[in-house]
Parts: sequence; C-alpha cells; structure tokens
Amino acid sequence: MKLKEILNSLSDLKADYISLREVHSKGLGMSVRNEVFEGLNSSEDHGLMIEVMMNGQFAYGATNSFELSDIRECALKAKNAAIEASRFSLAKFSLDERPVTVGEYKSPGKVGIDGFNPKEATELLMGLSNAMKLHEHVISRSAYMQMTEMQTHFVATNGSDIKQNINRTAIGMSAVASSEKGNQRRSYGDDQSTQFGLEKFNKEKLTATAIRIASEALELLNAEECPTETMDLLLAPDQLYLQIHESIGHPLELDRILGDERNYAGWSFVKPSDFGTLKYGSPLMNITFDPTLEGQYASYFADDIGNKATKEYLIKDGVLLRGLGSLESQKRLNLPGVASQRATSWNRAPIDRMANVNLEPGTSSLEDMIKSVKRGIFMQTNRSWSIDDYRNKFQFGCEYARLIEDGKLTKLVKNPNYRGITAPFWNQLKMVGDKSTFEVGGLANCGKGEPNQVIFVGHASPVCLFSNIEVFGGGK
Amino acid sequence: MKALQSSYLEIFAKKVFNELKSDEALTLNFNGEETLFSRLSKAKVRQVTNLHQAFIDFAFIKGNKVINFNMPFRADEGDFSLALKKLAQAREWIAALPEDPYLVRPKYYGVTKEENLNSLPKNEEMMGQVLDFAGNVDLAGVFSSGDVVRATINSEGQFHWFKTRNFYLDYSLYNEKQKAVKSLYAGSEWNSDDLRRNIKDAEYKLGLMNRDSKKVARGDYRVYLAPSAVNELMGTLSWGGVSMAAHQQGSGSLKDLWQKKKVMSPKFTLKEDYSLGLSPRFNEAGELAHPEMMLIEKGEFRNFLISTRTANEYKLESNNASDWESMRSPVISTGDLSRDDIYKELGTGLYVSDLHYLNWSDRETARITGMTRYACFWVENGEIVSPIEDLRFDESYYNIFGDALERVTNFAEVSPSTGSYFQRDVGGSKAPGVLLSQFKFTL
Repeated sequence: MKLKEILNSLSDLKADYISLREVHSKGLGMSVRNEVFEGLNSSEDHGLMIEVMMNGQFAYGATNSFELSDIRECALKAKNAAIEASRFSLAKFSLDERPVTVGEYKSPGKVGIDGFNPKEATELLMGLSNAMKLHEHVISRSAYMQMTEMQTHFVATNGSDIKQNINRTAIGMSAVASSEKGNQRRSYGDDQSTQFGLEKFNKEKLTATAIRIASEALELLNAEECPTETMDLLLAPDQLYLQIHESIGHPLELDRILGDERNYAGWSFVKPSDFGTLKYGSPLMNITFDPTLEGQYASYFADDIGNKATKEYLIKDGVLLRGLGSLESQKRLNLPGVASQRATSWNRAPIDRMANVNLEPGTSSLEDMIKSVKRGIFMQTNRSWSIDDYRNKFQFGCEYARLIEDGKLTKLVKNPNYRGITAPFWNQLKMVGDKSTFEVGGLANCGKGEPNQVIFVGHASPVCLFSNIEVFGGGK
Repeated sequence: MKALQSSYLEIFAKKVFNELKSDEALTLNFNGEETLFSRLSKAKVRQVTNLHQAFIDFAFIKGNKVINFNMPFRADEGDFSLALKKLAQAREWIAALPEDPYLVRPKYYGVTKEENLNSLPKNEEMMGQVLDFAGNVDLAGVFSSGDVVRATINSEGQFHWFKTRNFYLDYSLYNEKQKAVKSLYAGSEWNSDDLRRNIKDAEYKLGLMNRDSKKVARGDYRVYLAPSAVNELMGTLSWGGVSMAAHQQGSGSLKDLWQKKKVMSPKFTLKEDYSLGLSPRFNEAGELAHPEMMLIEKGEFRNFLISTRTANEYKLESNNASDWESMRSPVISTGDLSRDDIYKELGTGLYVSDLHYLNWSDRETARITGMTRYACFWVENGEIVSPIEDLRFDESYYNIFGDALERVTNFAEVSPSTGSYFQRDVGGSKAPGVLLSQFKFTL
C-alpha cells in the first residue's frame, strides 16, 4: 500500500495532525588491514515513524512492520501518548510548526551501491593498504569504503509530500607507525564523506595519499614533542571541521539553549538575548547553514518535519544572528532558526540538529598567512576532541604539526594539542584563507539526544590563523 | 510484539539453516526492543516515542570466506523471502572476495535462555509518578521502559536468548543558578517509595549547590572522584585501553602496563564480572565469556580482552571477548575508605561527582582530558565550602590508578548503561570512589 493510502486509512483516528516518515536505507562497507580483507558488511533498514499531534502535543510511534494492523496500533499508541502527555506539555504547538511542503531531492552521486563491484573494491583497498607498506615500522595499514543510500518519503495530513534520496560515500585510510620511540598515526578520509558517489574518488590520488600518510607517520616517530607555549595557531580544514562542529554548531542548537539537552549532551553558553548582539568572533568570521552546497554531506531539500531548507547566515562579520533550531524551538524562543529538525532514522523523533555548517572563505592566501607568523604552529587532522557541556572550555589534539618560525614552516613536531575558550578563541581569529584553501568535508557520527541519535553533518572551511593560543604536547 | 518471542526466531532460523549448502555456515544475531522513551525538561514532557523494532545480523560463511549482512525482522512470511534474497546476493558477492585467514567459524556453544520479565506498572502510571514526585523542581532527562532482547543462534545448533524488562529515569535537577545534580533510578522492579526517595535525595544535594560557585585556578589538587566519575573513566578505558587488538595494532593506551614497564597502585583491581547481571555473557558469535576475569590485579597487568578473531591473527588464546574487545561488565574492587570519612580524608581539595566528555590526549602515556560536571565542590579542612565552576583536567591513568591513588572506598555503585544509540543498551559497570593525592586541572 502506498504511503498516502496508509495515511488516509488513519483518518478515522481524528488526530489534529499526522505525518508518516518512511525510511528505507541500505549500507555497504568493507575494509582491509595489512593487505588482509577484513570483511564486507551489507545492511538494510526499513521502518516507519508516525507523528501525531493532539492538544498541541506531539508524540511518536515507530515500527518496522508494514502490516496495516501494526501501523494502526502504533498510530493509536502515539495518539494516546500525545493526549496523556498533553497534560504535562513543556510547550504547546500548532500546525504553524508543520509547513506544507512538496518536493523532491536526490544526491548528485552517480555510482553507488548498485554499481558496487566487490572485486574492484577489494583490489582498490588492497592496493591502498599495500601502498602504505613503506617500512616494517608501519605496523597497521587500514583502508575502508562505506556507502549508504537512504530513501525517505514524508507525507502529512496538511498535504506535505516529500521524497528525498540521500546517498553517501566515504573512502578512508590510516597508517600506524611504531618503533621504540612510540606509536604515531596518520589518517585520511574520516571527515571526507560526501554525497558524491564512487566516481568522485580517483585511484591514483588515493594511492598518493596512502603513501603520504604512511611517510608522515614514519616521519613523526622521530619528531620532537610539540612545545608548550602560547603562540599563533594555523589550522587546516581537517581540524577546523571539528572546531566548528563543537564550538559553533552545538552551542547554536536552540534545543540546547532551551535546556532540553541538559541531562545528556549539555547546553550552551549562548543566551537567547545574545542573538543579534554577541560578538562571537572577529569580523572575519562568517558562518553559514548551507543545505544547498552540491555534494556536501548534509545537503537536503527539507528537514524531517517538512520544513524547506535554505542557506542562512548564523554568524555574519563575527556577530551572532541565528540559531540552529526547528520551527518548534523557534516558536518557544521567538528567535530565527533554520530547517534542521532531523532524525537519525525512522526509529527516532526529529530534534534540533546541525546539517552543513560552514566557515565562509576569506581573502588570505596560505603563503601570506604563514609569512605573517613570527612564532606559531600549523596543525592538521583531528585526533582528539573534548569540550564542556556549555561548549566553552575545549581541548583538541591533532595528528601532524609543523612549527612556523619567522614566516616559514620549519620543524615537524608530534602530539600537538591546543586548548581555549570558545568566544575568546574565535575573537582571536586573525586571518581567514581564500577559496584556494577552502575544503568541504563531512562527519558521519554526531551524537546527541535522549534517546540517543547519531546523524551525518557537513562542514567546510578554509585554513585559518588564530593569535596567542595555548599549545602543548604529549608525554607525562 | 510477536518478534520478541523466541519461537519466531527459532522457526525462522531453522528455515534459513535448511537452505545452507554443505560448505556454508551461518550465525544470526538478533536484537529487538519494545520501548517507551519520554524526553523531559523542566519536569514537563517534550517528546514521547513508542518504538517497536527488531533486526537480525547475519554472519554467512562459505568455505574460508565470510560476509555480513542484516535485515529487519517482522516475524511474518516476508522475513524468509527477504532472507533468501539476501543469501543469494551474499553468494554472488562472496565469490569475488578473498579468503579470510582469521575466520571465526560458528561452533556449538550450548543453549541458554534467560528471561527477566517482572511486571511493571503501565507506562503512563510510572510517568505520572515521576512528574508528580518532581513537583516544581526543574528536572531534565529521559524516562525509558520496556523489553529488550539479545540473542544469537547458529547453524551448529547453538542458541542463546536474553530478554529483560526494565526501566530507567536518567535525570538531573537544576537550581535557579542552573547548577545541577545528576541521578538515576533504574531497575526491573518498580517501587514508588524508592523513586520518591531518589528524587528527594537529589533535591537535597541540589540545595548544596545554592552557594556561590568558586572559581578554582588551574593546577594540581587533592581530589575525591565519586563512583559515577570512576565509572565514566571506565568507559574511556574501554576505548582501546584493554583491547589486545588495539595494542597489537599500535593504538592501545596501556602499552607500558602490558609490557610490564609500569605498574599501577596495589589498591587498584579491575575485572570483568558477569555476576553484575546486567549483560549477557555471550558475544556476537555466541561464545561465553568466563564469569569473572582479572584485567588488572593489585596494579599489575593480568589480561587484555581477546576476541577469537584477534586470537587467530596473533596466535593467542581467546577469552571470548566481543568483536570490539570493549569491557561488557567491568567492576573495580572496593577498598577501606568509609563514606563517613571521605571529606575528612580529602581535607582540602575537590569533591568531583561526575566527569564529562572524556577523550585521550596522549594514548602513549594513557593521558586523558575531560571536564568536571554536575555537583562538584571545593572542600576545606573536611568541610564543603562551595560548588565550583567546571574545570578541565588532563591526567594519566597511571597517575589516577597509580602513584596518586591514596584510598578506595569500601562501597561501590552500579551504573547501568542508559545508552540508546540505534537501540537500547544492556550492560553496565560497578565502581567505588577514589581519593587521589594529586589531579591536574588545566583550564
């Protein structure tokens, strides 16, 4: 039975509003380590989320059965739960928070699971693992491929009808070098997921990357420890993705600002009164919510309640303008938000989320940024992250770093870390790289919510320079 | 929900096993739940979800090759036809795959069936009591209840079934200054008096948070870590800390302990202990872990967790760990510090109830970073002076459970897992509090 027919069959429940969100996802992953095939995993998930509003309260019923009787029972449970919960509602909602939207979206990728060839894929990953075999000290040489295809069909009693096919691909690798001096890891790809397909990945480029990361892991074995001092910090996009994620994305989520997430993910140092006034960062800082960037990991047409997504500035010229939050949170706070009420799959209710949250490029070339630094460090590729529940005090570690001395990149150092506090840190943003330094990435596993949910998000950034940051190394 | 009855899985599995050819074998891992989640804030209801789900992971072996796939399980006729379709796809793909030298073949590991299905009040009744007892206090968190199933069945005749019915209220209370205390009421038998007492205890602790917060400067301090903070430390140690594969592959974080270059304190003992009763002993392959296994005994290395796959690769003996070689039922031994003496023995320093967002800052030296969270206090001369503003720490396990470990409490607290990524977790850990002579705060 078609989804609309199922929806129509529930009309006698006389709910104030019902939506059905059918999610059918398929995944395929495989990995190789030390030139040994580690396994192929093929997954399939298919289920239905029924959202019911009664007396201004939403409740949800989720099932992976498509028997009409089961769906009906689930819808009835959701209706009764909404009525019961409406006696204790945190906030009352109306159809204003459920816009009427009709449309379709499909990821731009061409070669996905249907075009998967296990022999070719195995050969590619084996080749990458083998390319990392530069020296006996490279003791672990891993390569993986992951593809996901998620078809979502959303229909609602207000007339909304949205079909979205979001296909995602990632290829990654890592090399661990080990000697009596310790272990060092270099990796590529954990943050490079995309909505383009396998056609995006070039074997020669991937092989060159495999050789590079293995060489760098070996090189790090003999590097000196990162010094402990306050200095200028130049960050590559593959570290800035997580810096943006943790210290901009999460604190701007409106449900955190409202306190809904206090017991698990935490809340935010941002107050409702900060919107329009808080100088979040230096005037060079421009942050957008951009679901329209072709191929970026979390691009889409509409969120999971049917709100059409558009590009919006969250921070412009350093000033906080807008939060990441659903129409429900926007109503509760009387603040502007974006179309980002998203669920991990059919089995979770949608909550306030990031999607693509990007730092817009500036005007400085990489060379000019390096030249401008008397004493500093250039860090690349995230390896560790931690931040407090208000999203203030953070600490990040990177895989690879080089000192900058008198305007030149010099000595390689290992175990680079830095720490800071969110708003002061972003106000120390001194230079923003131009388009030639701008890279687009994606992270697969952003965790949040009670019940817990993971979701895919996109981040893009140029290289950026920060002044006077606390930097330190590993060791005791 | 009929999919959560063992007979449906057994009938389905038998039909699928009958389709196997002579060089084929199959292990099925079943996961299912029927759950209510109610998301709460300000002691009101934000969202309610009733969830019914079940799915099966297949490990299909043909010759010396393996392929893994999964499918939803609905306990209807469609299951078998979908399984046949997936088997056909697997046979096609597996022909193109290389052999797996570390293959774990299914074996007969016996038949067990465990069901803990106590009667619980209706969901709306339990929820009503939670909101009633919370009254006007600002409560945020999640209430969850229902049935969870884990099972494994293979073509060699092995079958393990674990079904439990339980609930938890994972919550925190907030005062007007937005300082908070954390608590948990969980179990398989509902007791209104216990729930009321749990919330009242948390409210009492919240009263202590009304004093002005002290901003503590970075530096080294004497610290008492309460059991919930120690349980948090166990969680991070499970992330490559006690995995043999992680250590063999250069990403382990207790290398020096393993290689006997370092020891921890004789007061520190860590083991896997399934008598905790929160986690099934069988792993994904149906292998049964030993009821109790020492990992670190009196500060010295005893065992890492070794899955059969890791054992095959490195020619070691498996201790039937899970694929991820993470702890499933960790317990830290208690010591001799009584509850009444904690503040006196701490003297002047920090009482830390919870830790938050831990991550390795340097695996080579077992250094972790993270934040203090919830009810943490500055203590002077054995008396609580004030709550503190949250602090970042960066410290090594070799210090926490080694040189700096002065005392361990004579009581321990169980922390049942309340995780629910993809599905409601089972499992948990049990830890005492620890008194440390030195703990490094960095921001």
